[in-house]
Amino acid sequence: MALADPTRVAIVARLAGGDATVKELTEPFALTQQAISRHLKVLEEAGLVSRRKAAQARPASLEVDRLVEVLAWVDARRREWVDRHNRLERHLRRLAGGAQAEPGFGGAEHSRRRPGAEHPRRLGGERR
Amino acid sequence: MTESPTDENFTVRHVHPAPRDLVFECLTTPDHLTHFWGPTGTHTPVENIVVDLRPGGAFETTMVSDRGGDTYTMRAVYVEVDAPGYVSWRELDSGVFTEVTFVDLGDGTTEVVTTQRGLPPHMRTPEARAGWGTALQRAATYIAAIAAPEVGS
Repeated sequence: MALADPTRVAIVARLAGGDATVKELTEPFALTQQAISRHLKVLEEAGLVSRRKAAQARPASLEVDRLVEVLAWVDARRREWVDRHNRLERHLRRLAGGAQAEPGFGGAEHSRRRPGAEHPRRLGGERR
Repeated sequence: MTESPTDENFTVRHVHPAPRDLVFECLTTPDHLTHFWGPTGTHTPVENIVVDLRPGGAFETTMVSDRGGDTYTMRAVYVEVDAPGYVSWRELDSGVFTEVTFVDLGDGTTEVVTTQRGLPPHMRTPEARAGWGTALQRAATYIAAIAAPEVGS
């Protein structure tokens, strides 16, 4: 993802404070202008940064709306998986607590429940 | 289409209290998926889940909103299947790529590592944006945080 890289996050943070040219963006980093340009290109392709074609220095601008959109989307997707795994764990505990040693459902290891494990919640519990 | 390592959106890790075979089975069998696929606020009836567990095979889920009964269908195709250690799929609409790795921790538990790659689709319509209120709020907070001082690298 465009924002997976710390340098790109730093570039985005820098641009949040105002437009900047590649030269200006290069200064704070121990990187070449070429490397910064490559990072900018990734951000541009993601729609997170735009560059003025006209001006020779082609200063880069942050596309704030798009950034918010992307971060929100990623965050929602991540949460979806965190919630999903929490539900899966409850499902697995229900299986372990219920019918013992169903074929294909594990065996001794699997049915060993941790003492004090909370009572499995009903499936409907987390909906809504 | 291939993804570079930096293309990653996020990785979610979770240790499940069950052996690897079972955890893999849960994530690849409609009878299990229906119990936890969600997402929160929705449910996915077993008859709404299609799993054709082979590369190129379909993985489809039609989620039903708990309120109002609106449905949303996720259509994907399995990319790689290596039971019980690995499975990946690509969503057809967005091209988003999800891979799930199952690691046997040797004590009857399994670590599941879920990674998602790919760019989010542009959300063009106001309707598409409407449901994102809270998420946008969170993102705004996050941006404020990353835009704050020290940017060092």
